[in-house]
Amino acid sequence: MQELAVRVDGLVVSYGNFVAVDNLSFNVKNNEIYGLLGPNGAGKTTTLKVLVGVLEPRAGQVVVYDTPISNEVAAKSQIGYVPEEVVLFDSLTPREFLEFTASLRRLDTNVANSRVVKLSTAFDLTKYFDTPIAALSMGNKQKVAIVAALLHEPRLLVLDEPLIGLDARSSKILKELIVFHAKKGGAVIFSTHIMEVAEKLCTRVGIINKGKLVGEGTVDELRKLVKGAEGSLEDIFLKVTEQEAGMQELIKALEEE
Amino acid sequence: MKFRELWRISSTVSKEVSFQSIFSTRAGSSLPRRGSTDVQRLVKNATYNVWISKILTTIFICAFGFVMFLPERGQTLYANTSHEFMIVASVSTFLAAVLFFIVFMGLQVATSLVSSKIADSLSPLPLSKKEVSNVIFLCLVRIFDLPLVAGLVVLPTAYLLVGGSIVGGSISVIAIAVSEIFGLTLTIGLAKFFYSRVAGGGGRSKWKTLTRFLFMLVWMVPAFGTYFVINFADVIIRSFLWFTQLFGSSLQLLVIVFPFSFGFFISFLSGSQAANIPSIVLSIISSIGYVFLAVYCFRWVTNTMRKIGSGGILKVDREPVKDTLLRPRTPLFGIIRKDLAIASRSPSYAILFLLPALQVAILAISFSSFKSGLFVTLGVLTGITMTTLVLPPTMFSIEGLASSYTRSLPLRKRTLILAKTLLALFIYIISIIALLVIALFFKKDFTMEIVFGTLNLFSIASASMLELTILARKFWKEGFALGNLYARLSTFILILVPGYIVAGIPMVAAFATYLLAENMVLQVFVTAALAEFAVMSLIVYRQN
Repeated sequence: MQELAVRVDGLVVSYGNFVAVDNLSFNVKNNEIYGLLGPNGAGKTTTLKVLVGVLEPRAGQVVVYDTPISNEVAAKSQIGYVPEEVVLFDSLTPREFLEFTASLRRLDTNVANSRVVKLSTAFDLTKYFDTPIAALSMGNKQKVAIVAALLHEPRLLVLDEPLIGLDARSSKILKELIVFHAKKGGAVIFSTHIMEVAEKLCTRVGIINKGKLVGEGTVDELRKLVKGAEGSLEDIFLKVTEQEAGMQELIKALEEE
Repeated sequence: MKFRELWRISSTVSKEVSFQSIFSTRAGSSLPRRGSTDVQRLVKNATYNVWISKILTTIFICAFGFVMFLPERGQTLYANTSHEFMIVASVSTFLAAVLFFIVFMGLQVATSLVSSKIADSLSPLPLSKKEVSNVIFLCLVRIFDLPLVAGLVVLPTAYLLVGGSIVGGSISVIAIAVSEIFGLTLTIGLAKFFYSRVAGGGGRSKWKTLTRFLFMLVWMVPAFGTYFVINFADVIIRSFLWFTQLFGSSLQLLVIVFPFSFGFFISFLSGSQAANIPSIVLSIISSIGYVFLAVYCFRWVTNTMRKIGSGGILKVDREPVKDTLLRPRTPLFGIIRKDLAIASRSPSYAILFLLPALQVAILAISFSSFKSGLFVTLGVLTGITMTTLVLPPTMFSIEGLASSYTRSLPLRKRTLILAKTLLALFIYIISIIALLVIALFFKKDFTMEIVFGTLNLFSIASASMLELTILARKFWKEGFALGNLYARLSTFILILVPGYIVAGIPMVAAFATYLLAENMVLQVFVTAALAEFAVMSLIVYRQN
């Protein structure tokens, strides 16, 4: 039986009176790439932030490799995280930022350096190593966050829209790395709006709408589950999230202008 | 596009500039996701911040202007001096003060303005490059409007009130305009210099970090200038009068120096009989020269604004990267190294590391009147302690810059608390060393400073740990962007108060003991300091 990497149970997160995540439960096993899908404002990023310990839930439990996220240091040591908005320490250079994260993760100098050479070469980041992050393009900032997330070879990768801003080459490399990570025995949870990527990459997907899990399974399982959604994951997604109704009329109205 | 329309757009843009100046420089671009009301409150606070800064500068300019020309002041300060020299001194000091006030007030917002982010958001709009430049220039005007107008009104009014002539009053308007243009030029120039050398500077070597700290001194120039002019206006004027009396013939050299040239010129127009013809001619010629220089500076400022409007003015040199070598340390030193790197590129943080330099300057000026003793020692230590204790919460606020990322890292509260405490202690130790150097320089007995200064380390550590524990708990629980401490001034003050109380306990105990049993002062001081240190160490140790 595959080891459970993540267990999310009855998660509730609210901002004031607004409930962003409402009684959400799902599991992710080792060797799995779990795609978290949902329209804008559905609660994906909030869920992932709770998963990595950035936000505290109002209720519910998150367990990462049998360690509750409340046991912060132990749980976070196993996670590599790429946030949706890449807000790092802008005045640091990538080198300084990676040294900082490597220090906090207590990485051995040799291990850190052998990893960073490979990763920075793969993502073509070397030439920006001594440039303040503030001066980097969005894509290069994203690469810094990705390298920082992969530097300590985490068991669980939590990636929030990781492909945004990446060039085709880096995007391809990251996708390959995600697949390799899962094959090697790790687990990946990532959110994306690109349905084609989710369809190709994910072992399973969970669809969130208005903070609730409205569909979960492999693409084939969802296809069977959702009547009339014969085609792509995009069709399934639009049906499940009830966004399809009236869409054609809206497009027509826009085209008539 | 009509001027009114551009003016209206510049209002929105200047709000954004003031917002960025606080939340980009101090807090990063991440804002807490706590609903729109929280963000709206932060935007409002940023706007209030700018308005408060403008109003305070205006009040300072008005008050300073009228105080400089008070007749009673003239009677006491210039008892043995002619009315003409009083005008020279007052006008010159006021012109210098306005220049520094403007730079002091505007440097932070100007840095945000020259960073060209504003042009990026304006360029996609249906505005021509010229209109974008005009909007940015109007932004600059909006940032400084009240103080500039105040300067233009106060000088001629105050001058006329002390019996100046109409022609002199008119020239005083030109003089203050020249001073204001110099102020704006210095502000934009320093902001450009700062941004290209410091904020945009990379490099990995320790030398680079050190030079960035040195360049950071630029940020302190207007602060020093303003402090100096406000506190030592009397000294400046007395020195000026002494200089003029001592070197009567050398006076002609002074009349070519700004702002004295205008001082002499205006004084001459007030009906001065004291100055000789060459001095008058020189002052007129040099004043005209400064007017031309101001016109040139004005063009430079408008051109710079235009360049910002046409897509950025700053090119930062990049060094070729030789390797990707990382040198990980322990988490504690990893945090300290990160904080130092950030502080070397951010004035609001670096200024705290430069506090010892500021304290040296202030102590060096004031120390001549000190007499060694317990009260003076504890008094000086109290001052240094209070300044040092601003450091821990401000250093902690660095974590708020990237809180949405930092909190995903395996970071223990106590590691963070210890790292910032060590930084605070480091600054304190430098301040104490500076104090000792000054005491040595003025040949004072520094035994008390050494003994109490060293023992006070425990007290500083305890107070820092308390402040940081409160903040760390808040940070972990609420996850608010601590960089926004300026938007939550109440939080900042509420954290300082317990720190001051803890640091104050050994001092108060020592004072009380001095009144009851003088020979027990040291024992009481050290017992109180060590006791609170032990308690705080235990509390911090228990933070996971």
